Amino acid sequence: MTEQDPKDALRALEVEALDAIDRAQDPEALEAVRIDYLGRKDGRISAILRGLGSMSPERRPAVGQEANRVKEVVADALQNRERSLAGPASSGIEDLTLPGRGPWKGGLHPVTQAVDEIWHIFRDLGFTRARGPEADTEWYNFEALNTPLDHPAADEQDTLYLVDSVLLRSHTSPVQMRTMETHEPPIRIIAPGWVYRRDTYDATHTPAFMQVEGLVIDEGVTFVDFKATLAEFARRYWGPDTQTRFRPSFFPFTEPSAEVDVKRVITRPDGSKEETDWLEIMGAGMVDPAVLENAGYDAERYTGFAFGMGPARIAMLKHGVDDLRTFFENDVRFLDQFV
Amino acid sequence: MNVSYRWLRDMVPGLDLSPEKLAEHLALRGAPVEDISSAGAELGDIVMGVVLDSTQHPNADRLSLCTVDGGHGEVKVVCGAPNVKVGAWYPFAPVGAVLPGNFKIKKSKIRGEVSDGMLCSSKELGLGTEHDGILEIQGEFTAGESFVEAIGLDDATMDVEITANRGDLLSHAGVAREVASEGEGRVELSEIEGDPGIELSFERDAQEARRGPVGVRIDDADLCLRYLGAVIRSVKIGPSPAWLQQRLRGAGARPINNVVDATNFVMLELGQPLHAFDLNGLAGTSIVVRRVREDERSFTTLDGEKRKLTSDMLMICDAERPVAIGGVMGGLDSEVEDDTVDILLECALFDPKSIRSTRKALVMSTDASYRFERGVDPEGMELAMSRAVALIVATAGGEVDGPVLDCCPVAFEAATVDLRLSRIEHLLGVAFEADLVRELLTPLGFDVVGESDGTLQVRVPGFRSYDVRREVDLIEEVARAHGYDNFPSDLGPYRPGTVADHPMFALEDELRQSLAARGLLEAQTPAFVPEGEGDVRVANPLATTEPFIRRAILPSLIRRLEHNFAHGNHDVRLFEIGTSFRSAGSGEPPHEEAHLAAVLHGRREPPHWSSDGAALAVWDLKALLERVAATAYGGAAVVVPGSQEDDTFVAGAAFDVQLADGSVVGRGGLLKGEVVDPPAWAGEIWGLEVTLPSNPGAPEVVTFHPLPQFPAVERDLALLVPDNVWAYDVDALIRIRGGPLLEGVELFDLYRGEAVTQGTRSLAYRLRFRSPDRTLKDKQVDKAVGVILARLKEELSVEQRG
Repeated sequence: MTEQDPKDALRALEVEALDAIDRAQDPEALEAVRIDYLGRKDGRISAILRGLGSMSPERRPAVGQEANRVKEVVADALQNRERSLAGPASSGIEDLTLPGRGPWKGGLHPVTQAVDEIWHIFRDLGFTRARGPEADTEWYNFEALNTPLDHPAADEQDTLYLVDSVLLRSHTSPVQMRTMETHEPPIRIIAPGWVYRRDTYDATHTPAFMQVEGLVIDEGVTFVDFKATLAEFARRYWGPDTQTRFRPSFFPFTEPSAEVDVKRVITRPDGSKEETDWLEIMGAGMVDPAVLENAGYDAERYTGFAFGMGPARIAMLKHGVDDLRTFFENDVRFLDQFV
Repeated sequence: MNVSYRWLRDMVPGLDLSPEKLAEHLALRGAPVEDISSAGAELGDIVMGVVLDSTQHPNADRLSLCTVDGGHGEVKVVCGAPNVKVGAWYPFAPVGAVLPGNFKIKKSKIRGEVSDGMLCSSKELGLGTEHDGILEIQGEFTAGESFVEAIGLDDATMDVEITANRGDLLSHAGVAREVASEGEGRVELSEIEGDPGIELSFERDAQEARRGPVGVRIDDADLCLRYLGAVIRSVKIGPSPAWLQQRLRGAGARPINNVVDATNFVMLELGQPLHAFDLNGLAGTSIVVRRVREDERSFTTLDGEKRKLTSDMLMICDAERPVAIGGVMGGLDSEVEDDTVDILLECALFDPKSIRSTRKALVMSTDASYRFERGVDPEGMELAMSRAVALIVATAGGEVDGPVLDCCPVAFEAATVDLRLSRIEHLLGVAFEADLVRELLTPLGFDVVGESDGTLQVRVPGFRSYDVRREVDLIEEVARAHGYDNFPSDLGPYRPGTVADHPMFALEDELRQSLAARGLLEAQTPAFVPEGEGDVRVANPLATTEPFIRRAILPSLIRRLEHNFAHGNHDVRLFEIGTSFRSAGSGEPPHEEAHLAAVLHGRREPPHWSSDGAALAVWDLKALLERVAATAYGGAAVVVPGSQEDDTFVAGAAFDVQLADGSVVGRGGLLKGEVVDPPAWAGEIWGLEVTLPSNPGAPEVVTFHPLPQFPAVERDLALLVPDNVWAYDVDALIRIRGGPLLEGVELFDLYRGEAVTQGTRSLAYRLRFRSPDRTLKDKQVDKAVGVILARLKEELSVEQRG
């Protein structure tokens, strides 16, 4: 039988001692444990420390270091256990397990949080925020965006009208035209805001909801920049493994148009990874030259891209909220969960 | 658009993709598949059965006893249907079969007679809602063959979402073209069983095409560009052959009769809606295409509905009266019926905008109007007519009478669009060679007819003439055919924009953070409110209970507070930043302002064993309002006791946010009982609403004050302040009269009680004096305090407490 390595013996002793400390139910039992391991005369760890002198000089430093470490760990554990066995009353101090005191916690609505996260990413990508009125005209909501009122595309967003040609905007895209009218390129904005549609309340529809519009116009902006910017957004929002897919689609104010889907990679509690299905997150495309011309821009010189997404839908996906209406109930027990 | 998988596969020979793979394919071409369903999925146990004999059930009047051959010899089946016929074929569920809804067929005895299976109705099979009899299947079958295969239910119906610009995809040929262009083969029209092989001739005229007694005329050429009419005589109306019925069912359509089915088949195949008239129901056996006349304001469509017409609607008329709403729906009087002998088959091209306004005015949409609105192929009309005629003659017999009458006031001319290779690269960021562009566009039906100096001349086919008109439209086609996913996605450099971040966002962010830090939760509520809470009415509201958009946010928050109360939530502190709408005069967009509102109820602090659990009080509301006012308006706003009676806040417990010019931009205070409906256990409820500046300036720049070098001297003064003197005035007087040495004033106690004179209260102030350049002596401070006390007594009758 070969002699056991003293370091292994020390580690075994450490485990044994910590277990004994945990099991000690009163100060007397704990004192017995202390004597057993750290007692000056017969303590088992003390004995190893004492035996260092007879060890070969090559082994001595490593074993000594380990023995001192174990001694410290065990001494700390003894002290902690002693305090917890004694209780607060006997030591004459406050019972520090009582709850602390502080003000109410407030917080932002989960949809605002989603808007903020989206904004922060685009801010880092060089965007600023623009805004426009929520009640707007048919010109800004449809016609300026290359959507003739007699085209079926104008139906797809069932619009709420106020009077004559004044309506509640059915998307944040009117901000595109309003921004271009008052600014020269380069344009690099997002426009978060409320939009309105003639939709009945159900799990996935509400007649008012937040949208985040985006618009980039400059010389030399291409379909490649368009894809790259939105793929970068998706990776920053959902993580570096996120894949992005662009599908052809139709919006009157973009050409080519696309729907953007993402596939996320979710890490399970056990560390394994799982890919989600493709989730549709936004409509987008290269700005139609007719829109640039309506803004008075030279469409041969300038190109750009635009996109629009729904932060409430993104918040639903992120937090597992299964009914959009929950966001409008504003039950404080719900809002508290996002603080 | 419901697409039959089998139909599609037959049109694209060599297509070898499962319905699921095909759906993925289509999604990446811009036509995502919403759903794939199969009507026959649950009917695998059902077989074709023929009734060999039927006698009256001996013990029940309404039941019959049938002998059925279901492929495994003759069996006896008790049947309750009134329409059972000897020699007819029916879906038969033998013993052991499972029907939809997990309904198992067992051997049973009904009124004493054994029944070995069941003859099924369409409702029992989940194919329809009709329960008035068993489902008779026309045609010749083998007893015991699969019902699903026999009637073509072994198909997958794909619900394809077609965007508004792609009317050309509202047909199997269109979808097949998209699939085939991926290199999956080419589009072929299937052979018609019993095709008579008729070569149609067309007699064309710009105004009126006429042959003998039959004529076709277009009076309003702005709304109808072309009208083809074919006369087929001596048809025999009856059910369509099984293969035709199968096709229709696979595409989600219901078979009706051979003539109607033929028109529906061609519409689903090629996208051209057709309509068959009973020729003998047309006065003067003629068609006139024209707008509604003054005296024709009502029309009954073939669904039996009486429709109100307006003068801009285009009608298909006979010599006397309208017989169809052009491109929308036929009329009841000229419908093809079982005894129809001669038909006039219509194949027309209508103006999409006119169809759209007509069907919107009539609040209806049909398969035909849906397609006309999105654009029907002007170059495909002859083919559609030929297919329909061949189908009708093949399935209903009859003879084509003369050439097709072709009235064509506006001949279609295909456009040729210039496409610069340089522009493709400019927009898409990738260079494309001319050959590749040709390769990508040709399978989609485009024809590169010329090329010079890096510019291609591209002829646009009729079916794309609605959405491809400009160079950029062709570039999209190039990108689409190339595949969006095949473009690189490398982030390049960019220039910053010229648009400054709108200052309202920064202000809103700061207010949100500030209120959240003070323990409030942000709410979001929709802008729709009931009458009385808004000035601006929605013309077409969805909910008649909330037809207005709000002028204030607070009432919406109060509703949310009540919702929380109803759920037993006691401590509720909500705020919201939203838009207030006010009428700006007739026809104008309303005036919009950003508002911040808050509503509060419950304890000041979270429950704690050391706390007294005190409720929120007026001082909490005041500080909150001051915080909001200071954040929104900086030093320009003050919070003062409410000056006016109002409907929302209790007088004497309300504040105004006032600007230097005296204008009030916000209010807050204790809510009146009328505006909130709390439960009995609720305490005081506080609210506020502040208008935010529309263009907030930059935040004020802080100017540094050097820290003092010499010690301060403090003096406490207890003052007896008469009840008619405001604390604000006492404070202001001390500051003004305190002289340059007075550094700060702090109210640290308020006492009212026996020890002080009736009609006064004791306010205790701590005054802090300091000199910037030396240590103060008591004498100097005594002098300054003496001045303050003298002025207080003289100006406000405030005396020091003894």
